[in-house]
Amino acid sequence: MITLTHFLVVSACIFCIGLYAVLAKRSAIMILVGIELMINAAILNFVAFGKYDKLNYGGQVFALFAIVLAAAAVAVGLAIILNVYRNFKTINPENIHELKD
Amino acid sequence: MLCPLLAFLVQALLGKKSISGNIALVAILASTLISLFGVFLPIWNETTILQKWAWFTIGQHTLHVGILINNLTALMQLIVCIIALPVHIYSRAYMKGDSGIHRYWMYLSLFCFAMLGLTVSLNLLQLYIFWELVGFASYLLIGFWFTKETAAQANKKAFLINRIGDIGFLIGIALVYANCGTLDLSTLFGKTSVLSSMDKNMSWVTFAGLAFFLGAMAKSAQFPLHVWLPDAMEGPTAVSSLIHAATMVAAGVFLLCTVFPLFNETVLFVITIIGTLTALSAAIFALGQYDIKKVLAFSTISQLGFMMVGVGIGAWNAAMFHLTTHAFFKCLLFLSAGAVIHEMAHLKAKAQLTIDPQDLRHMGGLRHFMPKTFVCMVIASLSLAGFPLTSGYLSKDSIVITAYEWASHLGTAYMLIPVLLIIVSLLTAFYIGRLIFKTFFGSFKYRSLTGAGISFHEAPKAMLIPMIFLAAGSLFPFFGISLTDYHSAWIMHTLETESSYPTLAQAHLFIPALLTGGAILAWLIGWNWYVKQKYPLSENNVWVHFAHKQSYINEFNERVFVNGTIGLSRILYTFDRYVVDGLTKFFSWFVRQLSVVVYWFDKHIVDGLVNLVANATYYIGHLVRHVQNGQLQTYLGFALTIVVLGILYLIIK
Repeated sequence: MITLTHFLVVSACIFCIGLYAVLAKRSAIMILVGIELMINAAILNFVAFGKYDKLNYGGQVFALFAIVLAAAAVAVGLAIILNVYRNFKTINPENIHELKD
Repeated sequence: MLCPLLAFLVQALLGKKSISGNIALVAILASTLISLFGVFLPIWNETTILQKWAWFTIGQHTLHVGILINNLTALMQLIVCIIALPVHIYSRAYMKGDSGIHRYWMYLSLFCFAMLGLTVSLNLLQLYIFWELVGFASYLLIGFWFTKETAAQANKKAFLINRIGDIGFLIGIALVYANCGTLDLSTLFGKTSVLSSMDKNMSWVTFAGLAFFLGAMAKSAQFPLHVWLPDAMEGPTAVSSLIHAATMVAAGVFLLCTVFPLFNETVLFVITIIGTLTALSAAIFALGQYDIKKVLAFSTISQLGFMMVGVGIGAWNAAMFHLTTHAFFKCLLFLSAGAVIHEMAHLKAKAQLTIDPQDLRHMGGLRHFMPKTFVCMVIASLSLAGFPLTSGYLSKDSIVITAYEWASHLGTAYMLIPVLLIIVSLLTAFYIGRLIFKTFFGSFKYRSLTGAGISFHEAPKAMLIPMIFLAAGSLFPFFGISLTDYHSAWIMHTLETESSYPTLAQAHLFIPALLTGGAILAWLIGWNWYVKQKYPLSENNVWVHFAHKQSYINEFNERVFVNGTIGLSRILYTFDRYVVDGLTKFFSWFVRQLSVVVYWFDKHIVDGLVNLVANATYYIGHLVRHVQNGQLQTYLGFALTIVVLGILYLIIK
């Protein structure tokens, strides 16, 4: 049968894929996708741990909240990427180093 | 007295514009008239005039400056003026055309001022100041032609030797002040003198007397400090005449006469001995000189020796008398010699000869060319030799006879001094005869030149008039009616001294006779030797050399004092170089080493610490700045790493 551990392993895998995408991808869109993956891994964990809250379904509720928040964050992130593109004519983070000392 | 000072200042201000010397001439003329009619005639034989002003106060003692005019100072002042006046007139002709003539008149005025100030000083310190001024002015005048090496050397020599005497004078002043508490001449030596209440045989009195005598020795060129005077002939002849005949060298004798009451018997005896020695040695040296001015210089020294003897035997009035007469005939001798030199120099310049215009060996037979100069010079020479009818006869005999009386009073051993003086007198007659014969008689070597359009003539009027005036002053009527008795001369009469020994009548007869006879004999020999060309001695004779080289005193001085000083300074230099410098160098080396250590410490320890901190910060910053590369993903990677490390830490803990 499928146990909690399976959920957590899958979740960890998704998180790592997301993490990799955030650190290594050469496009801001892909980084945003990586962030989404990591949020989804977290949401998966919420749902998996939700089995211990049979009364209020806190896990599921929180997962819904997080999905909404993630959608909002993606919208914001896309808006930022659009503005960055307007400024720098690129969305490759390697070429955007205004934060350098 | 102030006239020459004014003239000096005016001429110093005018600088090169005052070349005629009129200012100096007017000043000295005014001084002469004042000192003759305003000072000398009213004061002579009358009471002393004394005028003083407070100068400064040290503790309880007030020093006064002022003017003291008594018989002695009035006489001295008159001599200075009367001698300076003809010299000024003479100089106008003699120095004409010299490029430094404005300086000449300036120095001459300064000199006259100092000399007049010296004569009327009230206070010994004031006297000393003028004494120094005289020395300084003579330094300037001797070195007037300072571009000439020998002149520069000569004035240095004169200055240095006078310093020795000045030390003596200063010590004397200090001793008198320490023991009497005053330097006022009138209080010291006046009627109610401080000294009369003192015991004269105390050692300080002897010492002070000797110190004063040392001062007079240098100024009056007494043996062995006489070496500067012959060299001082490097100055213009008119200056030689003024300095050496009348004024500066006489200042020493004047000083001794002024402080005469201070001397006790020991000092007087020393003065007599030195005076005799000087008279004798200088007379011998004069025999061997070829330079006409040097003969006269040694003759001056010799006559100064006479004056010293006069002071030494207590007859300072005779000394003053001789000083006065000597001033006239020696000044005349110098001026005549100057006229001869002047003509010789002209001849030399015109004929382009390379001879020394002062060398006797080049002269001869000049009486045909310069008859008036010849007559003047003969009168002066007769006076110098002490021939009857001249002033020198009176004054010189007064000294010799007094010396004889003094010696016969004291004992046989003392007879040596008058005997030596008589010998010196004869030598004097001989060397002055030699001078006259060599200059004016015989044949003139360059006679052929005078025929060839080069004129050789009498001195100009401006030079002749002073000479004739002085020649008149060298004859006896100027000083007394009597031909033979010097006691009736007015100078002797007024400056009466009490003699402690009896007058010997026969001395008054045989000494003048001996002197005159001896002088004539000396002239006959001189005539034979120099005019008839029967010179018996070869030029290389030891004695001639001895006299010519002034008995090697200069060489002796050179070897002992100059080399001694040089040696001493060399030792001191070595000491300085190796010990003092060595110490200094060691210290500087030590300090340098110390500073090297400190520098090292500073650089490596103090700076090192500071630099270490700075460098550490820098490297850390350098390391860390790689993190801040502006790469968003790198930041995230670091954040992740830190989070992972934190989790690991939590797990391990």
